[in-house]
Amino acid sequence: MTINFFRHERALPYLLLAPTVAVLLALSIYPLIYSIRVSFQTGAHAGWSPGNFSRLFADRFFLAALGHTLVYAVCALTFEFLLGLSLALLLNEALRGRNIFRALLLAPMMLPPVVVGVVWRLMLNPNFGAINGTLKGAGLDTTALTWTASPRLALASVICVDIWQWTPFMFLVLLAGLQAIPQEPYEAALIDGSSRWQTFRHITLPLLKPAILIALLLRTMDLLRVFDQVFILTEGGPGFATETISLYIYRTAFRFFDFGYAAAMSFVLLVLTNIISLLYIRLLQRQEAR
Amino acid sequence: MPTRKAYPLSIVLILTLTLLNFAGCGQKGSSKQLTLAVNSGVEGDALKQAARDYEAQTGVHINIAEFPYANLFEKELVDLNARTGAYDLVMLDDPWFPRFATSEFLSDLKPFYEKRGQSGPDDDFVANSLALGHHPYQTGALYALPYVGNSQLFFYRKDVFQKHNLKEPATWDEVLAAAKLFNEQDAQSAPGGGKMYGYVMRAAQGNAAVADFMPIFWAFGAEMFDPQGKPTVNSAEGINALRFMLELGKYSPPGYASFNADEVSAHLLQGTAAMSINWPAWISSFSDPAKSKVIGQMGFTVMPGAKNPGRAEIGNWLIAIPRDARNADAAFDFLVWATSREQMKASALRGNPPTRKSIFNDPEMVAKFPAYPQQLRSLENSRPRPRTPMWNEIENAFGIFLSKANSGELSAEDAMNQANAEIAKILERGK
Repeated sequence: MTINFFRHERALPYLLLAPTVAVLLALSIYPLIYSIRVSFQTGAHAGWSPGNFSRLFADRFFLAALGHTLVYAVCALTFEFLLGLSLALLLNEALRGRNIFRALLLAPMMLPPVVVGVVWRLMLNPNFGAINGTLKGAGLDTTALTWTASPRLALASVICVDIWQWTPFMFLVLLAGLQAIPQEPYEAALIDGSSRWQTFRHITLPLLKPAILIALLLRTMDLLRVFDQVFILTEGGPGFATETISLYIYRTAFRFFDFGYAAAMSFVLLVLTNIISLLYIRLLQRQEAR
Repeated sequence: MPTRKAYPLSIVLILTLTLLNFAGCGQKGSSKQLTLAVNSGVEGDALKQAARDYEAQTGVHINIAEFPYANLFEKELVDLNARTGAYDLVMLDDPWFPRFATSEFLSDLKPFYEKRGQSGPDDDFVANSLALGHHPYQTGALYALPYVGNSQLFFYRKDVFQKHNLKEPATWDEVLAAAKLFNEQDAQSAPGGGKMYGYVMRAAQGNAAVADFMPIFWAFGAEMFDPQGKPTVNSAEGINALRFMLELGKYSPPGYASFNADEVSAHLLQGTAAMSINWPAWISSFSDPAKSKVIGQMGFTVMPGAKNPGRAEIGNWLIAIPRDARNADAAFDFLVWATSREQMKASALRGNPPTRKSIFNDPEMVAKFPAYPQQLRSLENSRPRPRTPMWNEIENAFGIFLSKANSGELSAEDAMNQANAEIAKILERGK
């Protein structure tokens, strides 16, 4: 009797986990393995071939898309972080109307990226758009400002839209981090006569580091796979100026019907994202170990 | 203990999930049921309405699966490739057809005609439209019937041409001269005093740039491929054609390198551009006071020529029966009915250009759609996009380089050389 009960108790966790594991296996592990298989198939040949991976390095479109993705991620991340941090510090102070500002700041993040894409596409239209309309009203010559149609301005325009939409996310995470910092170190610093900069540099920043790393990690992963706004705003154009890896993967799979090559590119993106994420997590752990 | 309670709960959960799964695949085709994949747009709407009429007449139940243009292609390709038999009839844009036909996804229509004691479709169909449903093009077996007969038209402002004592443009040189003249002399003549540009075109990468370029490319005597199938877009004629496009671009509104159909039509409707290549679907909006500031002033004619006579790009919607359709016979009955003269007239009245000569020539229809004679002329002289299953990829690459040239990133020569090299690579892979 006792032995039976004991066994039962030991089996229970496995039984309870079984549905989750089964669902994970079916929905996530199996497709992953299948897509590895697909990435080693080229054209009509059913055998294993590394052709898709060697093609990556000779494909100017892939390399350009990779370059755009990295530029996009680095620029957007830098600005979103600096702006988000400044806003969080500002709205952490006891300002009048602080709650209204906080709520308003979160609005862009609440909108679906597709809606953001459509709205900005209209605003950035060089002929009928609100932005050039306003600039023209202020007496500026806007003929050269074609935004998403100009090969020089298109990527910057798309990045600006990302910054507009996702700075609030940085702000939110960093503000939460700031509010979690206890008051005592600040009081001690005040008594010791530390300057504002010293307080920020030696107290706020180190204590905020976990929140910073988490915000950066989440944003980096999102930025590397950016798709929706770019697809709506420019569809990768003009020419190829704003094509990101995700867009190119989508096109290859669903327009050109070349799932093997699309799978190979997805793996490169996956590996890249994993490496960067691991770096962040390593930093985070070192911070916590201290 | 909470763990005890979790038992029944998890069993219920698993059962629900399993049942949900089975519910999805439970439907089996009955002989009185058809499933149609249609485009969500004016073309698909007409077929949807026809399906409702057919239901009422025959009692055959018709399910409609409606998708936006881009998703329709993906859906059909994935489902037909997986051989699910999900659809009994599919609407196809004609450039997609070679991909579906070479993959052997579609049913040969000949056996169905033979069962009815007929040899094939009647000869009222426009030959160029019917040719699209054959694989190989024009000569091979018939896999699809044409439902909507679009081909490009040249749109121009009749009033502006009259003001300058100009005839309707017959050559691209006349178009360029007129565009230049309007840009200089009609600087403030758009409704409301804004600037009117001489020309407007779509040069966004992909389909848009290629579609607006092909009539110029062909008129200048260039060809995409030589008889052996090697790409030749960087021929002297091809480069000259692109140079001409860039020249015309100088009289197009700024930012045209990212324009698509919406922007082009907005400029024409607002009266801020005087000429363009466009598709017949837009004709009716020019007489709609809610949209148009140029009511009664827009003229429609066939493509201008250059070294060669002008020829438009054809863009027809086809209907085909997948090879794995569950109710192929019933599907064929519907297909013949929907493309019959009477039903196509109904579709034409709902705004779709027909593919039957008798409807284009019907005086009652010409009274309603005054551009029909030009549309028929354009359609009968039109050319298809090259018939290759790799067309989507080729068009994408070609469009990127055209767009790059139009946005000033590349010279005409560089753009065409690089495009040629990319197209050669794509063809090599497709072998």
